[in-house]
Amino acid sequence: MTYNKPLPQPNADTKPFWNGCKKHQLRFQECRDCHHVRWPPSIICPKCYSNDTEWILACGKGWIYTYAVYHQAFHDSFRDDLPYVTAIVELNEGPHLLTNIVGCNHDEVKCDMPVEVVWEDVNEEFALPKFRPAQR
Amino acid sequence: MPTSLKDKYAIVGVGYTDQGRVSGRTALSFYVEACANAIKDAGLTRKDIDGLICYRYFQPAMGEREVTPYLVAQHLGLSPNYLSQEANCARTHLYHAIGVLEAGLCNYVVVTYADNALSGRRMIGEINPDDAVFGQFGYPAEYAMAARRAMHIFATGPETWKEIAVAQRRWANLNPRAYYFDRPLTYDDYYNSKWVVEPFRTPDVCLISDGGRAYIVTSVERARDLRHSPAVIMGIGQHNTSSYIDQSTYMAGPTGAKTAGQMAFNTAGITINDIDACEIYDCFTYTVEVTLQDYGFFEPGEGKEWFKDCSIGPGGRLPVNTSGGQLSEAYFMGLTQLTEATMQLMRRCEERQLGPKTNNKEPKIILCSDNGATLQTHCCTILRRL
Repeated sequence: MTYNKPLPQPNADTKPFWNGCKKHQLRFQECRDCHHVRWPPSIICPKCYSNDTEWILACGKGWIYTYAVYHQAFHDSFRDDLPYVTAIVELNEGPHLLTNIVGCNHDEVKCDMPVEVVWEDVNEEFALPKFRPAQR
Repeated sequence: MPTSLKDKYAIVGVGYTDQGRVSGRTALSFYVEACANAIKDAGLTRKDIDGLICYRYFQPAMGEREVTPYLVAQHLGLSPNYLSQEANCARTHLYHAIGVLEAGLCNYVVVTYADNALSGRRMIGEINPDDAVFGQFGYPAEYAMAARRAMHIFATGPETWKEIAVAQRRWANLNPRAYYFDRPLTYDDYYNSKWVVEPFRTPDVCLISDGGRAYIVTSVERARDLRHSPAVIMGIGQHNTSSYIDQSTYMAGPTGAKTAGQMAFNTAGITINDIDACEIYDCFTYTVEVTLQDYGFFEPGEGKEWFKDCSIGPGGRLPVNTSGGQLSEAYFMGLTQLTEATMQLMRRCEERQLGPKTNNKEPKIILCSDNGATLQTHCCTILRRL
């Protein structure tokens, strides 16, 4: 079955992130001067304005900062997924990432719940970082 | 705002149009009608108007030309000294108006917003392609995330928000212009409503409206010669926390309301105890709670008690959103709030007029808020009777 949901549209800033995802690597920019790890990507560090930047590999673990439960679809391609959960996950490295929570019932999702990345290969080009309750 | 601007400028006229669901009209027609009505309401003519500030953002409906400020000016027969090409932040428009008046560039400025959002098309905000990948669409979900975080941080949730929705509906039931004028809302109705995005149900979410609204700003000195007793701008403050929801760490407060409110109160030289009513930007019920909380009306989590038994409704302790607000009257950006406060201070609100009719104090000072995107911008304005 062809994947009919919206696909990422990498731009010059976000391309390294999506290239990492394709290899199941969660990558963020880290400032080499003040070590602030940032998302979304930017030409300079918003804390110290340094442009000395490195793409680091995140461990893929974090916790749910907040979430929302969709009971109606605002785009047809998500209709079969209802109810589904979008969430903001705070990664151990610091950045917040908008994503989905999968692998559990929507009413089991809680703020502060520990989660880990799970990859969804949607086509040849893209893999999406989604998160599931951390396996202990 | 420097204290030298206290009591220097005022809102002197309000323009309404047919509103709610009004099919068969262009967005332009609502802009033009709202502005013309505001100019007439103030007792001015088009020749007096030398500043025009239009909201400009939404894509035109099929077959309609983009409503540029040029086009609005042309249809109003205006050639203003200041024609704002700035677009989609209604929060800044009153700032701009005060700025061009203070600079001596203009004497009478029209500020307006209009749209045929309901019948013309859906009103859709910016869609971030990176968010759509995960099925995240639009402001209801973003504010739902903010509200969910707040539920985690302090005691809030549907039990608090239902009071806001029901109280505002009671105001709407007194306002013939309101979309829900003849439709009451009970607590049971609230709980039986569909989820939009959990934890928000339909009554937690603002309306999408056809129609327009406009107001006129001038100096208090000039205002004295006009038709109505003006709504004087005592204080104004703005604070823009700016971060998108996915990076926001202030979604459960303090939002920009805290700093913006302090600025406005400092300019006005008053405290929250002097406020007789509030017109709070209510894109969602939670926004009303967190805004009043950040202004200092109650501590985080105390809203649950504070809003109890429709305390912001007719006859309540602090009237809030006395037109029905954006939840139950109509959505015209921050103009819903500023124009209602102005009309209340001018004592032109008929059945919903604060005073003996509603069993509330006659208002001398009304606080208005406006916030944009997902709590990313905030403007607080304090108005008073002359």
